[in-house]
Amino acid sequence: MSDQDANSEQLDEGLIRALRAADEAPAVITASVDRALADMSRRHFASRWTVWKRHGGWALAASVALVAVLAVQMTGPATDNGEILYADVNGSGGIDIADVFAVAREQPGVTQADLDAFAMRVVSLDAGGLR
Amino acid sequence: MARRLRRQDPRSDEALVAACNEGDSREAAQAFEALYRRHKDYVLRVALRFVPDTDAALDVLQDTFTYLLRRFPPTGEGILLTAKLTTLLYPIAKNTAITALRKSGRFPAAEDIAPDDLPGPHGGDTTDIRKVLANLPGGQREVLELRFVDDLSLKEIADVLSIPLGTVKSRLHLGVARLRSSDFAKNLDDE
Repeated sequence: MSDQDANSEQLDEGLIRALRAADEAPAVITASVDRALADMSRRHFASRWTVWKRHGGWALAASVALVAVLAVQMTGPATDNGEILYADVNGSGGIDIADVFAVAREQPGVTQADLDAFAMRVVSLDAGGLR
Repeated sequence: MARRLRRQDPRSDEALVAACNEGDSREAAQAFEALYRRHKDYVLRVALRFVPDTDAALDVLQDTFTYLLRRFPPTGEGILLTAKLTTLLYPIAKNTAITALRKSGRFPAAEDIAPDDLPGPHGGDTTDIRKVLANLPGGQREVLELRFVDDLSLKEIADVLSIPLGTVKSRLHLGVARLRSSDFAKNLDDE
C-alpha cells in the first residue's frame, strides 16, 4: 500500500465485511457457460494456428531447403577438380535446388567450392541467378 | 459419478497472458481458460453492480471474455499487462454492461455518462447495506466498491475510471462519510 493509500479514507472492518458480503454474486455460472467460453477460446487460438500454417508454410519450406543446402555443403565431396556442369540433372524442367542434391550424389569429383557457388546461385533471389 | 476436480493453474496472470500472446494454439487456449476460471466470478460481480438480473450479468460475462479473447492474436495484437488484470477487466465489464443496458432501453444513450447516472445495485431482497449503497451517488458508490471490495489502490482506481486522482479522493471521502453516517453503520457500532 502506498503512502497515499495509507493516508486515504479508511472504513471499519465491519463495514468492509458488509460491503463485500453485499457484493457476493450468486452461483449462476453453469458448466455450460464454462464450456461455451472454453470452446470459443479453442476455436480462436486454432484459427491462429491456421493463419500460421497459411503464411508460415513458405517460411518452413525455405528453412528446410536451406538446411538441406547446408547439409550438402558439410558432407559434400572434396576434390581438387575444377569445373561443374550446371544442368537440369533431375529433369524437372529447370535448374533448381533438387539439382544440388543430384550433383552432389552423382558427381563425386565436384569440389566444395563449386558446390557452394552452385547452391548460392540456385537460392539467389537476384535476377541474374539460375532460377 | 465422481467429479473430476480441476486444479488451479499456478502461473501468474502475467505468465498466462504471455502464453495467450505467444503460445501455440493449445497452450494459448489452456492459458485463456485458466484466466477465465480465475476471474469469472469477479467479472460476474462487477456485472451485477450495473445490470438488474443474473441473465443479463451472464451475458456481460460472456461478452467481456469474448472481447478479451479477441485482443489476442490472430484477431488482436496481444495484451501488454502493466497492472493487475482486474484493472483491465473492470472497464471492459462495466462498458459491456452499460452497452447492454442501453440496448435494453434502461440506460440513457448519452455519450458522456455522469458518474451519478451509473445504475445501482438491483434485486428485491436487498440487505441494508445494499439499500445504503443504492442511495449513494453512482460515482461515490463505484469508488467505494473499487477501494474496499476490489482492493484497488487510489492510483489504480484513477486509471480504471480514467479520472484524476483528486476526483477519486473526493468521491471516496464523500462516500465514506455517507456510509459512516448511515443507520446501517450506527447499528453496527451499537452491536
